Amino acid sequence: MSRTKIGFNTKRQTLWGWILISPLCLGLTLWVAFPMGLSLYTSMTTWDMLSKAEFVGFQNYIKIFTEDELFLKSIKNTLYFTFLSVPLQMVVALCGALLLNSQVKGKGVFRTIFYLPSLIPLVVSSVMWLWLFNHQYGLINYFLNILGADRIQWIDSKEMVIPSLTIMNVWNIGNVIIIFLAGLQGIPNDLLEAVDIDGGRYYHKFRYVILPLLSPIILYNMIVNMIKCLQLFVEPYIMTNGGPVNSSLSFVLHIYNNAFKYGKMGLANAMAWILFILTMLISLIIFKTSNQWTFYEGDK
Amino acid sequence: MKSKVFVFISILIVIGTGFCFANGQKAVSDDKVTLKYIYWGSPAEDAAVKQALSDFEIAYPTIKVEPMYLPGDLDGSTYNAKMKALAASNTLPDVGYFRPEEFGNYAEKGYFLKLDDLMTRDGMQESYLPQTWLKIKGNTYGAYSAAECQVMWYNKKVLQEAGIPLPPTDYTEGWSWEEFVSILKKITTDSKGKHPGDIGFNEKDIVRYGVSYDLWSSMYYPSVWSNGGDIIDVDGKTVLVDKPETIEAFQKLADLMNVHHVMPHMTGGTNISPLTMLANDQLGFYVTGQWTLLDLGTMKDLDYGVAALPIMKKPAQIYVSGVNVVFNSSKHPEEAWTLQKWMMDPSKTLDLYTSGLWMPTKQSYYTDANDLAKWLDNDVHPEGFKEAVVDSMAVAVNEPIKIRNINQIWGDYLNSAVESIWIGDKTAEEALTEVAVKIRNSDLLQGSY
Repeated sequence: MSRTKIGFNTKRQTLWGWILISPLCLGLTLWVAFPMGLSLYTSMTTWDMLSKAEFVGFQNYIKIFTEDELFLKSIKNTLYFTFLSVPLQMVVALCGALLLNSQVKGKGVFRTIFYLPSLIPLVVSSVMWLWLFNHQYGLINYFLNILGADRIQWIDSKEMVIPSLTIMNVWNIGNVIIIFLAGLQGIPNDLLEAVDIDGGRYYHKFRYVILPLLSPIILYNMIVNMIKCLQLFVEPYIMTNGGPVNSSLSFVLHIYNNAFKYGKMGLANAMAWILFILTMLISLIIFKTSNQWTFYEGDK
Repeated sequence: MKSKVFVFISILIVIGTGFCFANGQKAVSDDKVTLKYIYWGSPAEDAAVKQALSDFEIAYPTIKVEPMYLPGDLDGSTYNAKMKALAASNTLPDVGYFRPEEFGNYAEKGYFLKLDDLMTRDGMQESYLPQTWLKIKGNTYGAYSAAECQVMWYNKKVLQEAGIPLPPTDYTEGWSWEEFVSILKKITTDSKGKHPGDIGFNEKDIVRYGVSYDLWSSMYYPSVWSNGGDIIDVDGKTVLVDKPETIEAFQKLADLMNVHHVMPHMTGGTNISPLTMLANDQLGFYVTGQWTLLDLGTMKDLDYGVAALPIMKKPAQIYVSGVNVVFNSSKHPEEAWTLQKWMMDPSKTLDLYTSGLWMPTKQSYYTDANDLAKWLDNDVHPEGFKEAVVDSMAVAVNEPIKIRNINQIWGDYLNSAVESIWIGDKTAEEALTEVAVKIRNSDLLQGSY
């Protein structure tokens, strides 16, 4: 048999190939493709899970854009949260990773501390932050009070609720830091030494070596976190129920309300598809512009 | 070659086992009837229900009951979601609790057993409170699991320290709103000991509040009704939320927070439980659901009492509760009805009543001295509970669960409008007039079940 031939060379091998990947294919079909198709179909029906679904074409989509005033509000809230959270998370996580990458005593302890919040289930940390943010008895306001400052209505005021959720979100960046850290450790030492030899300072290392080499990882973290932020649900569900006056009503919470509280599955599915398209669009924009600022080793 | 066969067989086994699990239903061997009973609640309620179910199995040896317990959630939406999934997959249980806001929707679509004939046969109709039976278009499809309503607890020590005489307990003799507010001002104190209205009173530094009202839809009705207002008419088509009486009632409640500073701001889910504030002497009165007595009863150091609700214009009360239904899909409707009757009989689940969680739905437990003593004579129920709470059920009006889309009308429109009143963003008049127009223009006013 010629050694240059790669891939399946007999029918038998092809068959085995299919058999071995069949669990994955089956899983993707059953648990991803089929639900998505069903969701797309449902989005064009009125279905309350109790009576028969009735096909209505694009009416649900038209209704969302023309009649649902909470749709715009919830999209606005979600985008506000996303565009506030993601850049802040990136900056804080990168700074954290740089610190954890430096030669400090007790590095392991610090790494654990930064990662610890990621291990706490979101529901639990939401309840905990509910107490920290409490207007009357919360720890944060307690310290503000001692310092002589006025108490802040963290999640009780329309203006502060999204920034407060952002603060909470930034606290929970262990995962992002770990990925940055892995990227930092992959940066070849000889490049950094080269800067030293040329008489460069830390700024030069950061600007001309670390940042460019880290840019693909920044892109990855940015996309993943953006998608996570666009799907904001647990925090407002547990902490504010979308209030006060719908100012923390996230889009997914709005979908949830329609689906499971009001039994409007068709409408909710249509909303979910709008979110899907929105997420895709934003990701696409980031990807398209990313070749301006990302740098891959091996690229020219 | 052998190894390939081995791999192939392994895969087959794995897939096969999956199918076995998917079809993994227990084989029914004996002639015992098995019923599934679905319910939600706190751990205490769970324990009491399980006890009642196992007592039932002893009394009816041919029936086996499988409890399906779903822990309580914020607003019942998890329970509703579960129920929808069960309905859509044709795996509904036989009998159990049901969320009141979804009752009409399911009843109309034929998911529940019609109970009228069974009720007449067993003489159930008359022996229960008239509000208990839930009818849709003249047919009875369910019953409230309990009688629950609004109450006003107080901390005796706090009242004594403020020099306030013990409040009236007769529900028809409650304080007028003006009296109530003036008393609340005496209780409310800032860290320097000043009260609202005093010179130098600092409303940002209050250490003890007069009152806290639970702020969610069912808890607004008694105040609104007491003032002669309403939210949506029972016809499900007429919006009454911008009626002057309704507006006034909401404004009066909001003024407690924003004008008189006698009530802590309670928007969002951010707040320490008023029950804890009551126990810590940080609160004089707490207006809430009567079921909080379950927790209150366990606070041994707290000397609490119950007062008649303040009256705006006339005494008012709400009748709320979960619903009990037999599902139409049950293969054993007769046994399921027997179980439902058992669960509705206070003598079978007395723990739920003596602990303060529920009030009975059976008539004799309101009128017969012996039956009254069974659930009221204990350390949990404070003195005056009968006059203030039990007797007030005479004027109790059912929570308006028969209005179509009422859940969404609250969720999409009223909650946020009312919230903007609580935080002082808008006056009740502005917020409610505005939202009334929006509701009228929406497609949600579709009558009643």
